[in-house]
Amino acid sequence: MTPPLLSTSELVKDYVIGGETVHAVNNVSLSIERGEFVAIMGASGSGKSTFMNMIGCLDVPTSGTLLLDGIDTKLLSSDELAEIRNRKIGFVFQQFNLLARTSALDNVAVPLIYAGIGHAERRARAKAKLEALGLGERLENSPAKLSGGQQQRVAIARALVTDPLMLLADEPTGALDTQTSLDIMSIFQGLNDDGITMVVVTHEPDIAEYAARRIIFRDGKVIEDEAVKSRRRAVAQ
Amino acid sequence: MSRFVDSVADWGVNVSIALTALRTNLMRSILTTLGVMIGVFAVILAVAVGSGAKVSVSQQIATLGSNMAIVVPEPDNGDGPPRPTERGRLTERDASAIRRQVPGVNAVAPQIRNSAQVSTAGRNISTLVIGATPDYGTVSNVTASEGRFLSDADVGAAARVAVIGQTVANKIFQEDAPVGQTIRINRVPFTVIGILESKGSNLGNDNDDQIVVPLSTMRQRLSTSALQGPDDVQLIFVGFDDEEALLAGQKEIKSLLRARYRVAKGSVNPFTVRTTTEIAEATGTVTQIFQALLVAIASISLLVGGIGIMNIMLVSVTERTREIGLRMALGAKRRDIRNQFLVEAAVLCIIGGAMGLTLALLAAFAFQRAANFPAPIGWDTALLSIAFSAVIGLVFGGYPAIRASRLSPIEALRSE
Repeated sequence: MTPPLLSTSELVKDYVIGGETVHAVNNVSLSIERGEFVAIMGASGSGKSTFMNMIGCLDVPTSGTLLLDGIDTKLLSSDELAEIRNRKIGFVFQQFNLLARTSALDNVAVPLIYAGIGHAERRARAKAKLEALGLGERLENSPAKLSGGQQQRVAIARALVTDPLMLLADEPTGALDTQTSLDIMSIFQGLNDDGITMVVVTHEPDIAEYAARRIIFRDGKVIEDEAVKSRRRAVAQ
Repeated sequence: MSRFVDSVADWGVNVSIALTALRTNLMRSILTTLGVMIGVFAVILAVAVGSGAKVSVSQQIATLGSNMAIVVPEPDNGDGPPRPTERGRLTERDASAIRRQVPGVNAVAPQIRNSAQVSTAGRNISTLVIGATPDYGTVSNVTASEGRFLSDADVGAAARVAVIGQTVANKIFQEDAPVGQTIRINRVPFTVIGILESKGSNLGNDNDDQIVVPLSTMRQRLSTSALQGPDDVQLIFVGFDDEEALLAGQKEIKSLLRARYRVAKGSVNPFTVRTTTEIAEATGTVTQIFQALLVAIASISLLVGGIGIMNIMLVSVTERTREIGLRMALGAKRRDIRNQFLVEAAVLCIIGGAMGLTLALLAAFAFQRAANFPAPIGWDTALLSIAFSAVIGLVFGGYPAIRASRLSPIEALRSE
């Protein structure tokens, strides 16, 4: 039996602010199986973003264990963590985080540079992902010449270009209007149907309804973790 | 090492990232590059001028003649100031004695030198007149390019003949053929019998601005500074077969002259014997110090340029912290980030270096034209300066680059 894609046990992240210790994430133990679509919810300061940063290997836990694809991340060097981020995880951010003055194609190809892939293959793979997301006509556009929805699709193409096991999206619809948000959720559901594990952090209950499982954080702890009862299918326009 | 080779493959990407970043802040990049450009320009030019001085000095010494001793009637009190009161004498008889008694001597050229007014119809210039014997041609490696040089007969008869330098010929005759014409030196008419082969100029000293006349004529016709006796001369050039003979000959000349002038044991020689080797060494040391000093001063401006690079790279790292965080999230390792900023600094420096080199080449060319002073910039200097500016980039870009690579991904990503 394959291990869960991700499992945490007694995961803790403390911050010391003004001499006081704040438990941003306090003893969280949970697992996410391959192919799940998880929404992580909670108010700001609930610890949901800190949790996401740790499972994305961007931040290091204070204590506890995080197993990613069966690997104990505690044992990894910063370079090995970088490699995990590169090969196994794709990130989608609220503010898209595209490189300015850089074409959509070059933006999407960035992770492949760090995967050590040659120029021609980088371009070919980036082009394929952009075309799959309906941006075949916009390969050479810089972010400034793309709408918010298009920019987020470029960012999704970038997250997918190394064929990761899991996509981590931090408030992916936070900067988008309702219809564009639906388009993005529809893309996520399609990707999830193809087998990619999706983890979406959001504070919008509507958005969470497109996920299959909802985890709610409060004060650094998981207060609710259950299947979404009436799951919605997003329809792109 | 293999890590290094791995990262070499990413250089192309890093160069294009660097160029994009530098274009984004074009004005800032240009100003930073300017600092390096001026530094590299100063260093290259300092090296060029220094080696130009070296070349000039060795040319000067070569025009003087090699393997030669110069005897002057000035007291040899080492490096102290000359003491005119103890001025000795030197005569044509001393010259003959040196020729007869010192082994390895191939030519002896006693001379009287003075500046004089030279005129033809309507033109009047001042130049150096050298009263000499045919041996002067041998010792100083001087020949006539047109007409002929002095002969023994000219000297014996105290003939009013002159061999004039190229510069003198150009100035007073312009287009006319000088050989056979008459010139007046301090009003005394002389017939031009030849033109000296051009020896060019070094260190602003024109070797062609002179006239050679027979020693005897000089003494009789052109009144010179107070010479005490009827066959006194101002200086004697002694040519030797080779360097070995020269070294031995220097001592021989000293003891010969001490004996001839009955210099008491322990007292200072009333004459000085210098060899071209000594002169070359002394001036060589001087020019080397000169060059080192120039390069040292110029290096300071390069250092300042380097500090400018470090400053701007620190600003660049701070401004792009979020980009660094993003790249780390997308899988950039520490060395990827470090190399990205190192390459950016190196690109700045190499562009600055190339511009500095171009400017230095232009300046050296202009300098050569205007001041008639060689300032050679060889391939080695050019390549070295480019390599040197890349090293400046790596050294001064190193700290900001390492700082960038040590950022925590999440903190970098969160920064505004």
